[in-house]
Amino acid sequence: MKNKRFNLLLIAVVTLVAAWSLWPTWRDYSLSQHLNSLKSAPDSLRYALSNRDEIENARKKSLKLGLDLKGGMHLVMEVDQVDLFEQKAWNKDAKFAEILKTVRTKASQSDAKVLDILSGEFKNQNIRLSRYFYDIRNSDQEIVKKLEKESEDALNRAKEIIRNRIDQYGVAEPVITTQGSRKLIIELPGVSDENRVRNLLKGTAKLEFRLLRDPEILVRTLDRINTYLVQNSVPPPIAPVAVASPSPSVLSQLKAPVPAAVPAPVPAGQASARPLYDVIGVFQNGTAYTTERSKDYVISLLRRSDIQALLPLDTELLLAAKPEIGKNGEKLFPIYLVKKTPELTGGVITEAKATFGSQGVQPEVLMAMNSEGTSKWARITGANIGKRIAIVLDNAVYSAPVVQSKIPSGNSVINGIESLEEAKDLEIVLKAGALPAPVRIIEERSVGPSLGADYIRAGVLSLGWAFLAVSVFMLVYYKKAGIAADIALVLNIVIVLSVLAGFNASLSLPGIAGIVLTIGMAVDANVLIYERIREELDGGKVLKSAIEVGYDRAFSSILDSHVTTLCAAFLLYTYGIGPIQGFALTLMIGTAASLFTSIVVTKEIFSFLLGRNLMTQKSFG
Amino acid sequence: MRIFHKTSFDFIRFRKIAYGFSLVLLASGLISLAVKGLNYGIDFRGGSEVLIRFEKNIDVSTVRSVLDVAGVSGSLKQYGLDRSFLFSTVFNGETNDLKSLVSHALNDRLKDNHHEIVRIDAVGPSIASDLKWSAVKALIASLLAILLYVGFRFELKFATAGVVAIFHDILTVLGLFSILGGLFDFMPLEMDQSIIAAFLTIAGYSITDTVVVYDRIRERIRGQKPADYERIFNESMNQTLSRTIITSGTVLLSVLVLFIFAGPAIRGFAFAVFVGILIGTYSSIFVAAPLVYDWLKLSKSPVHLRGGKVS
Repeated sequence: MKNKRFNLLLIAVVTLVAAWSLWPTWRDYSLSQHLNSLKSAPDSLRYALSNRDEIENARKKSLKLGLDLKGGMHLVMEVDQVDLFEQKAWNKDAKFAEILKTVRTKASQSDAKVLDILSGEFKNQNIRLSRYFYDIRNSDQEIVKKLEKESEDALNRAKEIIRNRIDQYGVAEPVITTQGSRKLIIELPGVSDENRVRNLLKGTAKLEFRLLRDPEILVRTLDRINTYLVQNSVPPPIAPVAVASPSPSVLSQLKAPVPAAVPAPVPAGQASARPLYDVIGVFQNGTAYTTERSKDYVISLLRRSDIQALLPLDTELLLAAKPEIGKNGEKLFPIYLVKKTPELTGGVITEAKATFGSQGVQPEVLMAMNSEGTSKWARITGANIGKRIAIVLDNAVYSAPVVQSKIPSGNSVINGIESLEEAKDLEIVLKAGALPAPVRIIEERSVGPSLGADYIRAGVLSLGWAFLAVSVFMLVYYKKAGIAADIALVLNIVIVLSVLAGFNASLSLPGIAGIVLTIGMAVDANVLIYERIREELDGGKVLKSAIEVGYDRAFSSILDSHVTTLCAAFLLYTYGIGPIQGFALTLMIGTAASLFTSIVVTKEIFSFLLGRNLMTQKSFG
Repeated sequence: MRIFHKTSFDFIRFRKIAYGFSLVLLASGLISLAVKGLNYGIDFRGGSEVLIRFEKNIDVSTVRSVLDVAGVSGSLKQYGLDRSFLFSTVFNGETNDLKSLVSHALNDRLKDNHHEIVRIDAVGPSIASDLKWSAVKALIASLLAILLYVGFRFELKFATAGVVAIFHDILTVLGLFSILGGLFDFMPLEMDQSIIAAFLTIAGYSITDTVVVYDRIRERIRGQKPADYERIFNESMNQTLSRTIITSGTVLLSVLVLFIFAGPAIRGFAFAVFVGILIGTYSSIFVAAPLVYDWLKLSKSPVHLRGGKVS
């Protein structure tokens, strides 16, 4: 008797807790229904304002929908640790570059820790890490430990910076977590402009102020590269089709030093006499350009180490971030020869603001520097009056203004920006600071809101039909006892949803699939019990003891079968990623809950019915 | 209502035929796996996929030629039959470029049929190999856990036969995926994470079914002579037959609902679970229990089972 009262109490408590946990979801739903029903905008605004607390509260505690149902982006980004280690190294030489190259290819192919690959590679070459890292007196282990700390820090810093950027951009409830030693998992629900978000996230935001070399040096350098390409006339191995010569319209604007008017299109495989000038044009004033079509080829050319070796010491050829429009509407990307060592970096920037420039049409970003930066900036501008300083962001030149006078205020401007939106994004990344190392998107899953709505519809439809089919079947097959099973089933679904809501887990489409599957499986325990009761009734037992024995005997089967299902679901949850975890989670909760609902709850229903003489032998069909 | 009331099928007598049937099933699946292989989805293959939905009906070849002309390389397939197409290509971290390439091409040439890019998935090669590994680990770990649990609750012979039955079920479904992969537009049957979830669900269900039969055998076999084992096995299976069929029925019902209503993203999963449960039900009667029977007969000593009712 005591046991029975305990069971009733337990059922009451579970039901109440479940209802309490789902209440905000219901409120959230009814409040937003009400908001939608208000016709005029001022009405709904007034309603939203007067019930603001309740709306916010309900929303915060309501059942969350997964990214696939709500629409949004799931991104996995990887911090480029090879780049990070390269930054940390000093007196780098050709050998170091070679080792790093092997490390990079190996790291991209395997999932092993980059640091292990790096130290392994050094060991293979019999070179001590201390030759390039930290102090010469450090042992390899010490350096590995330091580098490990370094990469951990880098990952956490990257996480913070990316969180900053996302917060400033404004995404509701972003989730950013780290995974392993180099991965960031970013979940952004309800993002509408995915392109913008991607750009915002992946840029390193490394801002540099670099001195431009004189135009004559640029021209001479390009000549040298051209001569080199002629001598080593292997090119173009890289897609000769893409390396279209600049169209005549472009070349007509170009004067010396491009005498050979229009180079005839070079047949593939046959080397041109002027390979570089097929893709790069030089104006008389000494500025160099490439066209949009040849841009990719030029970039790959400039990355080649043999080409880089031809540049003057401590210089680099960089392309502009944005094209200039030529006379005939052709997009031309200026090429700059800049010093490799920056005069000043973005670390000194304290404030950034996107505005429109002096003419009020060209968007630009104003930046202010800290005191250290200000004094440096004053010295640099003072010493280089009349020269050009390039403003470089992530290795692309935004502008290269001529220094008119010394700038004592610590102000600078980025222009050459296409839209105000882009200027705003620059503002965000500059304020959030530069990432310690480049990041790459290595996995992305984004679902648009319209597909999400489809998924919700499909999920609700499946839930409804599955419940209807199974519960009607139970009623038909087991008659009155079927009612108990169906009540247990309803409670089961409510428990699954309330656990999800209570623990702030989100419901995804695979999660709904898990619930649908649970509907089919949860009645298993009832089927086992009922079949057993039928057997006992056939064996001549009276109803009451048949029920007792049925529950008793069926229990070990139910326990074994549920534990095995739970095992499989738990392992799926442990090893699964993203959407699959949602499925495993609902299946797990559902299976565990069905142990309670289909044994305890149905038994109480029967004992209630038995107590009122509402059950007969026929009640089990 | 009662469907399987007081049956007396002689399952043990027909077990040899069932073994033969299972072997044919497994062999054809394995041959197809060896010859044709599996159709991997982007989870395990790596790559980028763009799901495009049009406003009006359009032929897949029209869209394909438009993308071809625009120089966007990749393959295009009908997706789920509702004016949607799945464009898949090699992995490219620059999803922006891929997206603008596709939508520019379609906007330029198919102006009067508006399209929307409703989903983008991009999985890098390192992630793909990660996912593959976790899938393998999850499968192995769950089989081990089941082996341990059933071994602990019953006996090693029962546990082993149960795990053999799980292998039988999963391999059959895998074989079917290989044989039918890529044959249907509405159901590509690609191996991805959801199929691994399906396998684990099948494993869980198959052992559940088997355990119920085992449980009844355990209840009845205690203190019996090995000579009576055949009768006991048959009776136990017949007594649990009704339950086995009914629960399989309710699960099949709900999986069928998923297959019909839950959309193309879930369809492959629903198909795998549906077939897996059919096979799992069959194998618990015709593979798992008969294997235990044969094994017990060979070992000739009475079986000592743990657990169960001690009242």
